[in-house]
Amino acid sequence: MRGFERYKVVSAVGALVLFVACGGGSSSSGSGLGSGALLVGVIAPFTGVDAALGPAYYAACLAAAPSINNNGGVGGRQVSCQQFDTRGEPADAVPAANQMIASNSNLMAVVGCTSDEAATVAPIINRAHIPMFCMTGQTEFNKTTLPYFHRLVPADIFDAYAMVGSALYGPGHAPYKRAALVFGNDIGSQAFVAPATNAFTKLGGTIVINQPITLGAASYRTEVAAMLLTKPDVILTEALGSAGTYLKEVKTQNGGQMIPFIGTSATIDPTWFQQVRDAIGVADLTKYYGGVDLGYSFSGPAYTEFQTNLNAAASTFADAPKYKQRGSTLHLYDGIIMTALAMVATNSADPTVYNPKIKDIANGTSGATVVNTYKDGVAAIKAGKSIRFVGAGGENTFDQYNNSQSGYIWVTYDNQGNEVKVGQMTPQQTQDISAAGGI
Amino acid sequence: MSLFVAAFGFGLVSMSVIAIAAVGFTMQFGITNMINLAYGEVMISSAYVAYYLNKAGISIWIGMVVGALFGAAFSFLLNRIVYAPFQRKGTSYLGMVIVSLAISLMMANLLLPIVGYYSVSYQEGTGGLIRLGAIILTTNQILIIGIAVVVMLLIHGLLKYTRLGKAMRATSANPTLARNCGIPTQRVVDAVWLITGALCGLAGVVAALNSDSFAIANGAAFLITILAAAVLGGAGQPYGAMIGAVLIGLITELSAAAWSPEYKEVVAFGVLVLVMVLRPQGLLAKRGAMAAAG
Repeated sequence: MRGFERYKVVSAVGALVLFVACGGGSSSSGSGLGSGALLVGVIAPFTGVDAALGPAYYAACLAAAPSINNNGGVGGRQVSCQQFDTRGEPADAVPAANQMIASNSNLMAVVGCTSDEAATVAPIINRAHIPMFCMTGQTEFNKTTLPYFHRLVPADIFDAYAMVGSALYGPGHAPYKRAALVFGNDIGSQAFVAPATNAFTKLGGTIVINQPITLGAASYRTEVAAMLLTKPDVILTEALGSAGTYLKEVKTQNGGQMIPFIGTSATIDPTWFQQVRDAIGVADLTKYYGGVDLGYSFSGPAYTEFQTNLNAAASTFADAPKYKQRGSTLHLYDGIIMTALAMVATNSADPTVYNPKIKDIANGTSGATVVNTYKDGVAAIKAGKSIRFVGAGGENTFDQYNNSQSGYIWVTYDNQGNEVKVGQMTPQQTQDISAAGGI
Repeated sequence: MSLFVAAFGFGLVSMSVIAIAAVGFTMQFGITNMINLAYGEVMISSAYVAYYLNKAGISIWIGMVVGALFGAAFSFLLNRIVYAPFQRKGTSYLGMVIVSLAISLMMANLLLPIVGYYSVSYQEGTGGLIRLGAIILTTNQILIIGIAVVVMLLIHGLLKYTRLGKAMRATSANPTLARNCGIPTQRVVDAVWLITGALCGLAGVVAALNSDSFAIANGAAFLITILAAAVLGGAGQPYGAMIGAVLIGLITELSAAAWSPEYKEVVAFGVLVLVMVLRPQGLLAKRGAMAAAG
């Protein structure tokens, strides 16, 4: 290649690179459950900087499917799981969602849809009338008008408030007064910044630096140097995929000494634990890390079945057992089971018929029988009872917008990466922070 | 002010990493006419080769050598098995770019189930902290800068003073004429893939060591920065790539100190756009060692 033509190709590739860089009750009202296999679509990032998210959701489906299939399926129909990779990018998520819907007429539910892509894929899935359980904390879904949208975790603002609570009232330390906010510059991570800033500053704290960082960068040396100059007491953070690089640099530049850091519920994740442990060492991780999570019992018949199936799923997905304490894995497992129970309860494979039933089965109606497994749920429905499903993730209570709320606890990790509860906010503290944050 | 001085020091490290990679990339293009978009994936593959050796208890510095050897062998085979046959069939330049993009995507997706989606780190201490005024660098970072300097000197020596280097320059300028003059251009091209592959592998391990924590997704991120440095300096110009690396490395770190760090790459690529507008051929085109005669 010579001369001008060569430069044209180089310029074209350069331009391309720039573009990338910038860049219930038994109500048998349906017309039958039909036949053939059913599919649960797991639409989430499986590659890209948020590639650690998708596997947690896929593991949920792999655990839920045998719970259903080993107990007669959904009217005899077997459930399977399929990944649809969004790469964590809305531009890639839209074709992935369209392809998922166009290629699979047997979709019974969709799980995943993180903050990376929920805003773009939720309307598409809703138009196809497929119930979805999304792991997004975005405020725009607090009062969503999408009837097929379900959210089993609180909005990000509550996660942010729990972090602020940990900083101000958490056990084992004096109240932190100077906080550095280090969040990825992606949509999901930035959702924590405003509520955390509001709550922390109105309760007497100071945000010494708000540092949005580019996820996946080769290094964060200058960012860390700038952050350390502000002398924070604590770092509030969610920088999935880059936490190890950033925190290692903190330790290096701070003379081998870590600064306490508090992570969102998304940091209760085996891949996050491994990354940060390898970067700063397990001793510093367990000593300086604080996290927030929804209060799970990790016990009871629903959890036992969940964990058994999760371990068995290792033959399909070797890392599945690692997600035994991942909140989103527990919740999405419950979402799939509730959907299957709604189909059985309505005796319908038509989502327009069984979708409303999901809320009834989660919240329960007056006199409902509490069930913890798919098997018990089907038996109760066949006995003509109305049911309330309380699953591996605990109780769900959907509001009119299909948002289910529950309380937070403060946690840390033990040396093996297991979640350890260290405390929780009192009702008064919760009220104070919510008022300060503007909710 | 001290932050800017510190950022300058960090910029020296960044530019060292970018330089090793960008010089290899631009030499590949300059001599073989191949815009190898799989370069970033070969880098990350080499980083994982070193990772598994390091995990087995072998020093990362030995792993770095093995990573370079892996990069050399893999790149050589990639050209012989994939790229060269396409080029012999007369595939267009743009077609070759698409082929390399396909190889890049295939490598990323084939590697994913092997290495996993999670981040890993080398089990190697960062070394002690060395303070030069406001500049704070670790021993490893000093070593990375040293490695880059040595590599740049070796490349300069190769191109300027060896028969192979002169043959490379001749092949780059006019392969037909070079062949007619008795230069075994095919062997020169093979040597180029081995040398630039070694640079690619070395750069992968150095970049991973520099990042402290890395994952399969970093391959694509590496490529963007490398391409920027290569295009900025003048595609196919090794000395241009060195200058491009200096500019990209320093600009990203200094802009992170001056403004919000989320804009550091925006600033760096803004400079790249500006250069492409004012001087589309890059900063050093027609002046570097690979430039065509006349």
